[in-house]
Amino acid sequence: MSLYQLQKLIYHVNRDPAQREHYRQDPSTFIKNYELTPAEATAILGIDVRSLYAMGVHSLLLRPFSLLNKVSNEDYAKALKGLE
Amino acid sequence: MPIVFACAASHAPGMTAWTEAAPKEQAANILGSYRKLGEKLAASKPDAIVALTVEHWANFFLNSMPSFCIGRAEHYDGPVEEWLRIPKARVPGDAQLGKELIDACLDGGFDPTFSDELLFDHATFLPLHFLNPDLAVPVVPIIINTLTPPMPTAKRCFALGQFLGKTLERNQKRIAMIATGGLSHWPGEAKHGKINIPFDKNFLENLIARDFTSLTGYTHDEINIEAGSGGHEIRTWIALAGAVQSWKAELLAYEPVVPWATGCGLVAFHP
Repeated sequence: MSLYQLQKLIYHVNRDPAQREHYRQDPSTFIKNYELTPAEATAILGIDVRSLYAMGVHSLLLRPFSLLNKVSNEDYAKALKGLE
Repeated sequence: MPIVFACAASHAPGMTAWTEAAPKEQAANILGSYRKLGEKLAASKPDAIVALTVEHWANFFLNSMPSFCIGRAEHYDGPVEEWLRIPKARVPGDAQLGKELIDACLDGGFDPTFSDELLFDHATFLPLHFLNPDLAVPVVPIIINTLTPPMPTAKRCFALGQFLGKTLERNQKRIAMIATGGLSHWPGEAKHGKINIPFDKNFLENLIARDFTSLTGYTHDEINIEAGSGGHEIRTWIALAGAVQSWKAELLAYEPVVPWATGCGLVAFHP
């Protein structure tokens, strides 16, 4: 687990327009700047909300990140169903 | 000059980002009350706004997370969120007042961090959008960590507010104080959408009754369980209660707005 790195990546994408642009242009290259486990890399590249949440990504990093990736409120809620 | 205005208000991003998702009456009550507060703020002719506020990973990260941070920048950009439906703008800062508050805190037993560059996310920008719509009044943001534990205690937030209130009463400028955040909400969590109405009502009752023992008695775990991760933002309200202790709190609106996933409250304080 490298939750710190995973959250740092999301923090940069959410907050910094230049880094967000890099991420949008080529996510696979962008994530190499962070020390992620293969599972984390897969979850990030797949915008796998449920897995990212279960990995411990802070909800206020995850929700804006998913909004930037056009995940609707309904789909977000569906992804977290049963994790209450 | 004394503090000339004080209010506390929730800042659910849905208020602007998906306004129409809320039941019309609830939206009208909340946004109408926000505009009323904006008119009152303008009528008080403040020279500066001191915002007891929070942020959501807009500035700080886990490499360095201050409990309290006072801004002393000439301006603040925002909102960070592209989807907030508030135009991007530059908010003037009152750098001199920020500096004075930092100095006063260090002399007075508080040790905030300070910052010459802060971005405003919806926590600060959304209230300013309603309360300071022309962005004409310069702002001093005081950011409280309500985002990730460990956070400053309710008691410490109250004490900081008390200190700031006394300090600002001696300032030459006319000061408007605002507190932003809460009430109960679980943003982005699996419990997203839950609102604890009894908790919110009890908190508002404590505020209106000026029950400072109860306000300073909230524990981290109690807030976390009863009001959710977003509920920690009531620390800004508690700090404001400390700043204007002798003022009467008037509840303008409380609405548990499910589509905004937040117990939304707006309170005006009167000297």
